[in-house]
Amino acid sequence: MTLLGRILVPLLFLVIVVGPVLTVLIALFIGPWLVDLLAANIDIVRFVVAVTGVLLFSIPAAFIIIYMELKVIAFMNLRRGPNRILPAGAAMSVVHGLKVLTKEDFTPTGADRLVFTWAPVVVFLTAVMTFMVIPFGPGLVGQDLNVGLLYLFAVGGMTVVGLLAAGWASFNKYSLLGGLRSAAQVVSYEIPLTLSVVGLILLAGTMSVYQLGLQQSGWFWDWFVFRQPMGALIFFIAATAEANRTPFDLTEADSEIVAGFATEYSGMRFGFLFFAEYVNVFIVSALITTFYFGAWNAPVDVNGLMAWLNANVGTSLQPLTVALDPGSLGVGLLILLIAVPVALTLLFAAPFYLIRTSKPAWQALLLGFVAFNLLAGGALFLIAYIGLDWVAGLLWFMAKAFAFVFVFVWMRGTLPRVRIDQLMGFAWKWLLPASLLNLFATAAAIIVVKSL
Amino acid sequence: MSFIPGMGIVRGMGLTLRRFFEPKATIMWPEAPADIAPKYRGRLQLLYDEYGTLKCETCFQCAQACPIECIDMGGMDTKGRFHVHWGPPETYGERREESATRRSGRPVADPAHVRFDPLDTAALDAILERHDYDPKAMLAILEETQAEYGYLPVGALKHISRITGAWYAMIYGTATYYRHLRFEPPTVTTAPPAGEAHRAAEAAFRDALGASLGYGASDTGHVGAAS
Repeated sequence: MTLLGRILVPLLFLVIVVGPVLTVLIALFIGPWLVDLLAANIDIVRFVVAVTGVLLFSIPAAFIIIYMELKVIAFMNLRRGPNRILPAGAAMSVVHGLKVLTKEDFTPTGADRLVFTWAPVVVFLTAVMTFMVIPFGPGLVGQDLNVGLLYLFAVGGMTVVGLLAAGWASFNKYSLLGGLRSAAQVVSYEIPLTLSVVGLILLAGTMSVYQLGLQQSGWFWDWFVFRQPMGALIFFIAATAEANRTPFDLTEADSEIVAGFATEYSGMRFGFLFFAEYVNVFIVSALITTFYFGAWNAPVDVNGLMAWLNANVGTSLQPLTVALDPGSLGVGLLILLIAVPVALTLLFAAPFYLIRTSKPAWQALLLGFVAFNLLAGGALFLIAYIGLDWVAGLLWFMAKAFAFVFVFVWMRGTLPRVRIDQLMGFAWKWLLPASLLNLFATAAAIIVVKSL
Repeated sequence: MSFIPGMGIVRGMGLTLRRFFEPKATIMWPEAPADIAPKYRGRLQLLYDEYGTLKCETCFQCAQACPIECIDMGGMDTKGRFHVHWGPPETYGERREESATRRSGRPVADPAHVRFDPLDTAALDAILERHDYDPKAMLAILEETQAEYGYLPVGALKHISRITGAWYAMIYGTATYYRHLRFEPPTVTTAPPAGEAHRAAEAAFRDALGASLGYGASDTGHVGAAS
């Protein structure tokens, strides 16, 4: 048995045996109670669920972004990138993570042990804490704070504490330089970043991130990017610097200061620092999506379009709804659950077996099973998309956020690193005046519009 | 267009996006074989070590791989005693033809050069007959040859090569591989031990002495007993 097989067989066992057993147990004993608890929307329960969800989500998100970075930059360099682990090297970043876990966790002599140990945790936690106020969909928000934007910038600004602590505690000149650079950079770019969002606050009249999302519903021209284009641009540039991404990745410029604040880190602490970086990339993308690109809203307002057509063209379109009540089938549901997979698997396997008789029966059955699962999954997803607001919202939000992740990776594949004086000069001489101008123009425009 | 600020960034981003969709330059070795001419054998080069001597140890691998048999390999064996040569003997001539050698600037062979001592091959032929001229029984043939001649004469190896059709280099390789096969006669102490020469002179002197003393010449072998 290959290594992959040795890993997959226990996992398969877990999925096939333990999964259903757990599901049945939960459904039988704590299911109703759990549903009641979740439906009651108690703050503490919501908080725990949100924290669990966010922590669980941040790891695969970082894995996906790391893989994206490897693959996209490789494609832009006319290379193929990772292609050995799973098809197209899809598990490459997971293996990277495992490798980091197995490495020695090393603390250099002379390092401030306590600070050295906790700095990566601070960096990672500040990154993850930001998720709390990001609305992933209608109703899918950890805490809808009425000072959500303030919270975002406060927590986001704490990252610099972790980076500086990591740089200082490492007892290494390169680390210290990296920490100082990151402090200078993040603090400088915090100002245009915040000022560019102030225009948004003036427009929206709220500091709740969830409300910002709600206000952008409708067509895509309702998104704030078309009312705050300059603010969006400034926010994008400043956020790039905040996330320490190319072309502003001076904190870990390996040609100048080795790996910056991460020089002395190894093992999982290093992993935390880099996880935090990639989580930051996702957060920045999610923030841009939320603030300027319509949050979870689809670019097309289907209901509005149908209402307009009904009113002006004379059609009689009704909003699509899916009404499923599987409980009403009774025993039929059980038979359906057992019979349908088998029947459809056989049905889908038949063409493979009949057309290409050279294919063994088991291969045809496997293909049929895969085809059935794809169909069933697609159908379930479609039903969920139509029937549940939050699924549709989550889908759009993720699509937009990962589009911006792609832009960040794309930038990394294109742009060279700037010099430290260029970096600071750009922040103070260009971005700050531009964001002030944007703020002034927005305020003036609001006064003019109100006085009309 | 270059007067618009940020245009360079836009052009660069466009370039990388175009590259993103272009076919990739990676050669998927070993899944996809490298695109090399089928007769390509790598670059042939004789290398010297830091003392200025050739690193070639006459293993004949290059000559064996040569598709058009253009490599003429010859040299001293690893013990520095015998000239070994690549290929069937009947092709030596065409590759060592004097005009070709002269044109290529190689040292011209001396036709009077005798490569090995002539050998009486009757016993060898009997051995080969016993083994049905089978090159696969080479080790047995070589062992019996050594038992017959006391060692493996170069002439015998050449003869085996010519009769069985096995390449001389292969036979030579087999013979050098086994420690119990040797290429020169065992050092038999046929020469008189040290001191024999002046012992003869001593005997002559004793004979003369005995004659003068009245002993018979036949008793000279027992001088010690007499004294």
